[in-house]
Amino acid sequence: MTRAAFDPLALSVMSNAVAMIAEEMGTVLERGALSPNIRERRDASAAIFDAAGRMIAQAAHIPVHLGAMPESVRAVIARQPGAGDVFLLNSPFDGGSHLPDLTMVEAVSAGGTRIIGYAAVRAHHADVGGMSPGSMPQGAVELVQEGLHLPPIRLVRAGRLDDSLLELVLANVRTPDERRGDLEAQRAACGAGADGWRALVSREGAARMRAACDALLDYTERRVRARLREIGDAEGSASDILEGDGVSEAPVPLAVRLRIRRGAFSLDFSGSSPRVRGNVNAPKAVVRAAAVFVLRSLLDDDVPVNEGIARPIAIVTPDDCVLDARWPSAVAAGNVETSQRVADLLFAALADAGVPVPAQGQGTMNNITFGGDGWTFYETLGGGQGASVRGPGPSAVHVGMSNTRNTPVEALERAYPIEVETYAVRRGSGGSGAHRGGDGVVRVYRVRERCTVTILSERRLRAPRGAMGGGDGATGINRLNGKALPSKCRAELSPGDVVEIQTPGGGGWGAPR
Amino acid sequence: MGISIGVDVGGTFTDLAAVDARGRVVTRKVLSTPLDQSDGVAAAIDALSPARGTVGRIAHGTTVVTNLLLERTGASVVLCSTRGVTDLPELRRQERAALYNLSLDHPPPLVGNSRVVAVHERVAPSGVTIALTDAEEDRVARAVAAYAPEVVVISLLHAYSNDAHERRLAAAISRRLPGADVVTAASVLPEIREYERTATALAEGYARPRVRRYLGRLSQRLRARGLPSPVVMTSGGGMLTLDDAGECAASLALSGPAGGVVGAAAVMRAAGFRDALTVDIGGTSADAGLIVGGEPLVEAGGSVAGVPIALPRVLVETVSAGGGSVAWVDGGGALRVGPHSAGARPGPVAFGFGGTEPTVTDAQIALGHLDAAALSGGVRLDAAAAREAIANLARRLGATPARTAAAIVAIADASVARALRRVSVQRGVDPRRCVLVAFGGGGPLHACALAESLGMRRILVPPHAGVLSALGLAIAPERREAASSVMRDARGISRRELAAILRDLAGRAAAMPRPRIEARLRVRYQGQGYELDVPFRASDDGAAVARRFAALHDARYGFTLDRTVEVVAARVAAMGPRLPLRLGRRQRASDGRSSSSAPGAESGGFRQRMTRGPRVVTLGDATMVVARGWTARPLPIGGWLVERAR
Repeated sequence: MTRAAFDPLALSVMSNAVAMIAEEMGTVLERGALSPNIRERRDASAAIFDAAGRMIAQAAHIPVHLGAMPESVRAVIARQPGAGDVFLLNSPFDGGSHLPDLTMVEAVSAGGTRIIGYAAVRAHHADVGGMSPGSMPQGAVELVQEGLHLPPIRLVRAGRLDDSLLELVLANVRTPDERRGDLEAQRAACGAGADGWRALVSREGAARMRAACDALLDYTERRVRARLREIGDAEGSASDILEGDGVSEAPVPLAVRLRIRRGAFSLDFSGSSPRVRGNVNAPKAVVRAAAVFVLRSLLDDDVPVNEGIARPIAIVTPDDCVLDARWPSAVAAGNVETSQRVADLLFAALADAGVPVPAQGQGTMNNITFGGDGWTFYETLGGGQGASVRGPGPSAVHVGMSNTRNTPVEALERAYPIEVETYAVRRGSGGSGAHRGGDGVVRVYRVRERCTVTILSERRLRAPRGAMGGGDGATGINRLNGKALPSKCRAELSPGDVVEIQTPGGGGWGAPR
Repeated sequence: MGISIGVDVGGTFTDLAAVDARGRVVTRKVLSTPLDQSDGVAAAIDALSPARGTVGRIAHGTTVVTNLLLERTGASVVLCSTRGVTDLPELRRQERAALYNLSLDHPPPLVGNSRVVAVHERVAPSGVTIALTDAEEDRVARAVAAYAPEVVVISLLHAYSNDAHERRLAAAISRRLPGADVVTAASVLPEIREYERTATALAEGYARPRVRRYLGRLSQRLRARGLPSPVVMTSGGGMLTLDDAGECAASLALSGPAGGVVGAAAVMRAAGFRDALTVDIGGTSADAGLIVGGEPLVEAGGSVAGVPIALPRVLVETVSAGGGSVAWVDGGGALRVGPHSAGARPGPVAFGFGGTEPTVTDAQIALGHLDAAALSGGVRLDAAAAREAIANLARRLGATPARTAAAIVAIADASVARALRRVSVQRGVDPRRCVLVAFGGGGPLHACALAESLGMRRILVPPHAGVLSALGLAIAPERREAASSVMRDARGISRRELAAILRDLAGRAAAMPRPRIEARLRVRYQGQGYELDVPFRASDDGAAVARRFAALHDARYGFTLDRTVEVVAARVAAMGPRLPLRLGRRQRASDGRSSSSAPGAESGGFRQRMTRGPRVVTLGDATMVVARGWTARPLPIGGWLVERAR
């Protein structure tokens, strides 16, 4: 079948079929996994790639994984994978994002030696070793402090698990049993994806499938460019800061110039800080993910999520830039916090260019990690979304680059020596306005054992901004036994100590009436 | 036992099927009465006019709960929650309503935070950490009474494992507010995860008073006709007595669609099949379901009308791809179908009620699959108008009308096929091993195309395809469930202990004579968040259960772990005897009625023969398309088996 003959009908059918495979992978992972961060919070993504390594579909879970997963598959392809090989990686400089995100990629064959596609699953593991329990350290200044660093390694060769490699990985983490279970579930999810893709290719035939992938990516690209043309030629710029790099509290400036011209979306981050000592450096894949997310939010709900979205995007970063992390920089917070700030930055530049966007949301993931004797627990907290011309901002949700669920209080208290004293809406924290910003949340933890807490957060000093005359959201607050803590910090806790997080509210929209 | 009657209330029609002691079936169809569904039910029964004393049972499928959740017209509720976590209904699970549509919010919770009373108490997994005092009980009861609510819902942390505080508080509130209904969350859903449990309990409280009033009116109308009090189908395919149904309102949220899958299962068993996918296509939507080993697949979770209800439900996935779904061209130049539906008004262009947008039904007409006489309900089809609307759309796409019509149907089929894949593949069932049971007005119309896209080779078009849900209700056995929490290492459970659990639960569930007992343990590896259902018998011990679990886990997910196997809970279902069903060859009847006689009886006029596709066959209440390469043959039980030629 020729490319021209690939019609809208066959396209819809194929798009559904591939999306279905990715969804199914996500279900297998959630059902089989052990750690609450994966099974309750779904801090994970699944995607299907064709033989050329192009992302054809991703299950809609976590935006920050969106533009970043294709890099993983490209890094694996560079290692010349054989049929039935499964690679494991987390290197931020070779296909990964930050170290706790372990990505597994299976090379799928139709039975012979030829590779017909790839199934990939990325999941945030609650510990991968390094200087602090939970592997989301504050104050790290080089990558190796943050945990075990894995370039793409061949964990499974032609269907056979390399036990010694798995042992090596498990020997370097604080919670090996839980990791083993989560990795097994991840492998099962890849297997489900491989089965689904194999069945689809064998039903459709390899040639037709290739044509279908071309057509699908082209279709998505067409939708994106059509939307950009509808916006018209536009230019805007914006700047913002990160509240310290985790080592020092000196602000880290970020800047962008955004240009939409003839259906292309160009971003130039000149003026942003050089690489910093602490771990807010972000690999370029993470910056691309933020660009994909912002662009995707301008499109209609039904545009398929595949690599076609990224085609109109061009990104320029200066040679030495906090938004282009290189070895040996530390990066743990880059994926979770810098990514949020880049998304804010791009929305601000769009607003400057005259494109209507909502007021700013909480702009942070509020990463909190506890680690004690034989256990580590990681979660992120929702907050206020910004209001828009269409209505008030939603309260107590994840905004921007994350969309993980909460850890149910009951699941948390059963699994760890922590009591959640308060989990509530932070009333009045949304900005005022004709449409009010969404409220943040309050979460108060009382620990029952000695342990360490690490907090990586933002918007504790500079509030989420309102739009069109709307008020700012309230800044977030971190406290230990009632005393304020900085945006990024680490503390040793004794039994009975109380950690309180109040997450930021979203900005309001329009002058209050 | 006399005649068993099933009555299913849908959006447009109220369907009735009556099965007598010899298994013969009679059906009726009347217009639904949305203001009070019991009017339509009474009208359907009057249309049947059974002789006094001949009716043994009336089974009912209702959309009262679905509608009140959609319209938000339930009771005034006050929620009592553990101090510190009183905002659960608003907090939900923290994910946003849409990943990329930043302005979209979730529907508001059934109870806002101004109607929540904080309770000073705390239970931890290890036990009580803050005791509930008499003074606190009293304070809470007074605070609640100030709202003068119809219903009080109590949901406290960790009550799935220890509900003593919930029960004491309920008693205190009942003493002060004797007129109010008091619902404890642990009694509605004794499971971990506070948000899902609380939300489900709120749905129960919110729906309960209206459900009771409705069921009261219904039984009054039936009593006035000398008929027995009805039993009501649950979302899970169970059957509740009128009194029980009044206390399980949240479990009636999918009462209607469940009846369809139960009916499909009965017909499929009668035809000798075990595993099936079901598809019920109506005017605005299509429902996909799964039957494994002759029984509908039942799962917990999901939401109805934006209200999360974590109770067992017959697996039904609804997609907006019915006859009224509208075809349009999007910004990228692609042809799209739905989710918008023209509904019954203005309806498809062919209805002539003022619709201008071409729908799936219009495409079927343009393809010659539907003729003017095909739809029931007194609608005459304007085929020329339908063809004109399709031709207009074709011009915009630069395609021929025939290809455009075929594409519209194919796109609708693709979204239904995706739902069918989700319900099967996601649960480890290969659709190619299944027969496709196609019913509802549109099911038999789309069945061949759906089967082809899923690689299925056999389709069962049941007798009475257009009223199958009512038939399902008429023949569904009574089914009651009992559950208990276990929370133990499987290897430490002895044979005697397991037998005692089974005995206790079977005793609680079985109120009927000679029940069939179905016992399952909910089992997982310690640390997992979800369980697998492992069947067990009185002769099993924990080690046998652990082995069975490992095999099941390996089959489902492809791996096992060297970890403690944990038995979380035990569930037992007791089922009454199945009703006999002897579906005979169909007679054609006028005025929307049809009946069937026993197999072998000579039915006079309408003889059915083997039919090779492509061919369109008009059934009594539906139209069947037999595609090229498919062959349909009539079954001894009535209906058709459509098979792909090898």
